[in-house]
Amino acid sequence: MTRPVFIAESALLCARGDSPAAVASALWNGECSAGQRKLGERSFPYFGLALDEHNWMVRAELAIRQLAGQLAQLPSETPLFVASSSFQIGHFEQIGTPFELPLAAASFSRQIAGWMGLSGAISSFSNACTSGFSALDAARSLIAAGLIDDAIVLGVELANDSTLAGFATMELLSRTAGRPFDARRDGLVLGETVAALHLSAQPATWRIAGLRTGLDGFSTTGPNPDGSRIADVTVDCLKEANLQAADIELIKLQAAGSPGTDLAEANALRSVFGQHMPLLISLKPGLGHTLGASGLAELAALLACLDADKIPATVGFSKVDPEIALFPMVERSTEHIERALLNLIGFGGGLASLIVERRG
Amino acid sequence: MITLTTTLSQHFAPTDLPAAVRAALGKPLRRAAPLTQLALVGALACLPAERRALPTALLWQSTSGPRLGTLTLLDEVCTGSAEPMPYDFLATQPAIAAAQIQSFLPGLQTAMHLPLDSQGVANWSLLLSLAIVWLNEGRCQQVLCAQLDHATDVASGHWLALSCAPLEKAPAGLHLAEDTARDALPDTPDFPARLAEWLAGNDGPTLSLHSPVAMKLTVEFTRL
Repeated sequence: MTRPVFIAESALLCARGDSPAAVASALWNGECSAGQRKLGERSFPYFGLALDEHNWMVRAELAIRQLAGQLAQLPSETPLFVASSSFQIGHFEQIGTPFELPLAAASFSRQIAGWMGLSGAISSFSNACTSGFSALDAARSLIAAGLIDDAIVLGVELANDSTLAGFATMELLSRTAGRPFDARRDGLVLGETVAALHLSAQPATWRIAGLRTGLDGFSTTGPNPDGSRIADVTVDCLKEANLQAADIELIKLQAAGSPGTDLAEANALRSVFGQHMPLLISLKPGLGHTLGASGLAELAALLACLDADKIPATVGFSKVDPEIALFPMVERSTEHIERALLNLIGFGGGLASLIVERRG
Repeated sequence: MITLTTTLSQHFAPTDLPAAVRAALGKPLRRAAPLTQLALVGALACLPAERRALPTALLWQSTSGPRLGTLTLLDEVCTGSAEPMPYDFLATQPAIAAAQIQSFLPGLQTAMHLPLDSQGVANWSLLLSLAIVWLNEGRCQQVLCAQLDHATDVASGHWLALSCAPLEKAPAGLHLAEDTARDALPDTPDFPARLAEWLAGNDGPTLSLHSPVAMKLTVEFTRL
């Protein structure tokens, strides 16, 4: 049994707003301001949530309950798929020594389910930056096979020093701003978000036409610069969707402003799309790189943009890198998009491509 | 038809893991976290050399996750006087395991890591259901499903290897079934060991895996 899987609704809380529509509006207006997060003597730009609460766990509860409030009431037994690269590590940083980590790595997911009012099956996914699409892939595989009818796929990435320090120590962070595909790009800007999608077998506006994940073992911190593995995943995704490259009208890039990964993604896109490059946008200059939740947050934001026929410009891109020679949109557009591709290229070798198609 | 090709359970004293890696590879694996080492020795034990280039997916779960590595990182971040060492951060990112073993399993195309939320309860039913769906779709030719855990006193790996090709010595076939009433094993981390015991005995032609999370997921094994 294989049946289509639809995105019934979405919810989003991030630095740009407290609903997908609000985020889409902010992106359309070019909002991209970030705060700062200190790490020892250094500080980095950071896209934080506007939640006035210091206690990490209380703040997490506020964020998740706000997210739940955006979704229609679902049966409590609806399966929950949680994606995160850091879960509640910020809570343990705040509590301090001795660090009493739970014996089960994803125990935080049970807490999230409680806040969401869900008592059904819980599955957790931690694949660094591609966690969100891994969770989406599992949920939609089960729905497509007729094993479940609905699912909530939730991404959570909340502020913590461990992740910031880890990226900082590997010199992967920009000290100024994320500049996707730009010649002056010098690293990522991190952020926090919670995002959720309700997947269903019931028809809705957007269908998941293809979703493929992959792996690039070239390096633990970045893909092969030739982009070959990324291209393979995108081609597989097009095949699953029974589409040609020319059918894709818009690509939501991974492009976070990382010198190596942006180049690899550009090489992959050239290999797949050749001279017929679709419209290109990156949402990270407005949202930050929200790691394990980024796929779900950017999908929710993008669908809200496409629902309104308002495609935002890519902030932060102004100077072409001759090695990349691709041009994210610098002018916003009201073009009506039927099919979009979303790329994720993860820290740790994870890759993912997703195609969403508007229901005719 | 989808077949079970291998059941495997491994236990190591954590200090013995590097030697197990050396024995499997003929050389040490540098800068590999314990979960990566467990993934490597288990995957190579499950797949003979002639099947390591076939399109493969790795679905693995863990109760412990990188718990010891996370404690080390927290200590460095919260009480250290400098930023953490890069390797100590990498050791907290379990997804890296798949990337690090890909060069030894060139067919490894994708990997998914599922941390577990409760002790003593696993999600084999989900891993196996996804494996069956993906193999039936032709998304890959074989799937490795694993439970990997690392604690101060023991490192353990439980594995099931599945293939969509009919292999001569496969001990069982498996499929998704609706009837969950009979001969069911609970979904626990050591399920492969229990399955191996059932295969070695004479307790009936089929065995089901009950999921405590009840998602209409019942995996039925049939002796071949």
